[in-house]
Amino acid sequence: MSTGAQPGKLSNVPYETLEVGRRFGPYLESVDAALADSLRVEVGSPTPGSVAPPAVFPILFLRALRRSMGGIPAGSILAGQEVYLEKPLPVDGEVSIETWVADKTEKKTRRFVVIEFEIRDGEGDLVGGGTKTIIWPRGAEGGGDG
Amino acid sequence: MAEQLPEAKQRISQALIDAYAELSGDHNPIHVDPEVAARSEFGGTIAHGPMALQPFIVAATTLLAAETLPSGSRFRIRYMSPMRPGDEVGCRLAERDGDVLVAECVKQDGTVVARVDATIPGAGARLEGAS
Repeated sequence: MSTGAQPGKLSNVPYETLEVGRRFGPYLESVDAALADSLRVEVGSPTPGSVAPPAVFPILFLRALRRSMGGIPAGSILAGQEVYLEKPLPVDGEVSIETWVADKTEKKTRRFVVIEFEIRDGEGDLVGGGTKTIIWPRGAEGGGDG
Repeated sequence: MAEQLPEAKQRISQALIDAYAELSGDHNPIHVDPEVAARSEFGGTIAHGPMALQPFIVAATTLLAAETLPSGSRFRIRYMSPMRPGDEVGCRLAERDGDVLVAECVKQDGTVVARVDATIPGAGARLEGAS
């Protein structure tokens, strides 16, 4: 199990060094009530519940991405995303997340990196996953996982 | 009357962007540093992409009267335009074929910020029952 990157830390992983198929993790993350409740309705209007809403999945992915890259890639821009759900995720559970680079391509002046993720519950069952397509930074830019 | 998803909105403010950065750990300057973001191609801070998806998720769970979406649900999002502090994003149904939905997340000025292609088991019957 890897140690987590510092919250807020940004990374600068060169596109050229990304290996397609290389897996990262598993990383353990908690799905606590504060996280789940904050994403149940409009962000900023916490609402209690017992099952994690789907919006938790992109957050768990970002946390795993941060840990796999030593920080969120500085200057990265989110172009697209896919999410699938396989099993309800109870609040106050712990999940393990694996990520891997599924594809990388260059189109004109942009570099696109597809990162896939899988989330499993404490019993090892797949609860969901998906992909993120990220416009990869070319250097130290002021962007974000937009 | 045309089928529509239940109403759901997401306000965008710098405070909410900062809160999302805390939740996700994504503190990229384009989201949280107005001075750096002003020098970027966007000319100011923008919200994290998944915040555009929030109205769709809330509308879909409201439609199903459930806390989450059923197993077998999947959605693909294409981000098309940034959201900035002061924006408000809603969601509208563009197309439907059974449980396969196409939705658009739209800002107050009509700009589509994200397009969502989704398969949600049970959504078609709910929409038929509501229209």
